[in-house]
Amino acid sequence: MKAQQAASGWKRQLKNEFSAIAFLAPFLIPLLVFYIWPLLRGAYISLHSWTILGMEKYVGFNNYTKILTNSDFYKYLWNSLYFVILVVPIIISLGLLLALLIHRKIPFQTMFRSIYFLPYVLSVSVISFIWLRMFDSKHGLVNVILETLGLSSVHWLTSPNAAWWSIVIATVWWTVGFVMVLFLAGLQEISQELYEAADIDGASSFHKFRFITLPGLSSVMKVQIFFQIIAGLKLFGQVQIMTNGGPGDTTNTIIRYIYVTGFKKDMFGLAAAQSTLFCIFMLLIAAVQYMVVNRKES
Amino acid sequence: MARAAIYSLTVILAVIFVIPLVWMFVVSFKPEGVSAITIAEWTDFSDLTIRNYAKVLTESQILRWTWNSFVIGAVTTLITVIISSLGAFAFSRKTFRSKGFLFILCVSGLLIPTEAMLIPLYETVLSIDLLDNMWGIILPSLTNPLGLILIKQFMDGLPKDYMEAAQIDGGRDFRLWWSIYLPLTRSAMIAIGIFYFIMSWNNFIWPYITINSEENMVLSTGLPTFLSNNVLHVNTIMAASAIAAIPTMIVYIFLQKHIVQGVSMTGVKG
Repeated sequence: MKAQQAASGWKRQLKNEFSAIAFLAPFLIPLLVFYIWPLLRGAYISLHSWTILGMEKYVGFNNYTKILTNSDFYKYLWNSLYFVILVVPIIISLGLLLALLIHRKIPFQTMFRSIYFLPYVLSVSVISFIWLRMFDSKHGLVNVILETLGLSSVHWLTSPNAAWWSIVIATVWWTVGFVMVLFLAGLQEISQELYEAADIDGASSFHKFRFITLPGLSSVMKVQIFFQIIAGLKLFGQVQIMTNGGPGDTTNTIIRYIYVTGFKKDMFGLAAAQSTLFCIFMLLIAAVQYMVVNRKES
Repeated sequence: MARAAIYSLTVILAVIFVIPLVWMFVVSFKPEGVSAITIAEWTDFSDLTIRNYAKVLTESQILRWTWNSFVIGAVTTLITVIISSLGAFAFSRKTFRSKGFLFILCVSGLLIPTEAMLIPLYETVLSIDLLDNMWGIILPSLTNPLGLILIKQFMDGLPKDYMEAAQIDGGRDFRLWWSIYLPLTRSAMIAIGIFYFIMSWNNFIWPYITINSEENMVLSTGLPTFLSNNVLHVNTIMAASAIAAIPTMIVYIFLQKHIVQGVSMTGVKG
């Protein structure tokens, strides 16, 4: 009697388990095939000499030694980090500024929001084409405006430092609206009573910003900073179209480096090892993000 | 005084933001060789022409690429929203043993971006013979768990009564999902769907690598082929950019409220 009950309970549990997994299967199957499997496969490929036609031979950790003893990998990883260092502070502060400008009820509020956000819906090719032309030394609008203002023109895409700034400006123009929209959402969550109380206490605008607005936005801010860091590390399209990694290899990023190693030089094994190292790097960032975002406010 | 200063800053920034776009349109309507960099050129309406547009439309497959981008975006969005909702239903409304493990497995999809696994993903898609095929773009993009997580949070907030009323039974679960949870989470699904569509539409690196025949390209990867074509003038290239920009701009103007809502919903939690 008891055994029978246990058996039927076990059966019911199994059935329940399967019915839950049936709901999850349509999501899990692509996840296993196009995420988990490639991750493992990548680690496997990285231990081999491999071309687009397939495996050639097992080489152990040779690919890794080759990468880590050569300065290229560090150089291009640094390039991506350099971009992050340039772009993230600008995009976060400008996004916050735009949100603050149009947060309060002003004439044409919606129109301003639309304009600031509009570039975000364009694809990377379109924005790259526009800025490629904007930064043209002779026929570009940017230099024409600089000259009209009495400033000297800049070889935007062909001098090393300016090339990075060209990419940064194009990227900020393209995505800052996204950051702005998130800050706008964050601003709406801050209770209006806090400001009213501060007004009664005679707090200055700066104090209100420093002690009400900024703390109120801190969680959105943290999420956004990490989101932008990761987006920055993935930089590829703008560079590929606007500078092709140039001048020289100044704006070559880690992703473009992996792309060239794998698809242009046909060294899949080496590129897979580079990918694996980059994955580990991304996981470290995710770990730091987890610790920072989930830390209790003291 | 301060108010006026703030307002003028708002206006100046808006002008700076909109100039590159306006310029793209101006250049695209100018005859070849006119770079439209002086006020005189901007205000001269006598030389406007649609020849650049005609050239792009007849000499390239840009309409085909637009269609491909649209189909890939729509199919990706539809499938993701449905499978995310099914998965979210299991995580939010059912108790089962492997729940914790499977949830971590799903969420892990957020950790590593496609960009960091180009080589093995390419090899995987190659091995199932989906290179140069729209399914080779759609299937790998179904692994983003953001939609599942957000719909789960949304479902967690719904009352549990429906669940208790129903018996624990596979067939009924499906009906419950279809007739109650799917309609109740409609607003979240629209927001998430829009987000996925924008992501798909702007996806660049993956189609850039996997699609090589011109008729299968999407808009974002077809456009750069103009650069390698030295015969084309900048005015033609700007006309091509404008053609690529117009559909998204129109959609944005009409669906603005939903798009902004979708972005803020996915971004704040993401």
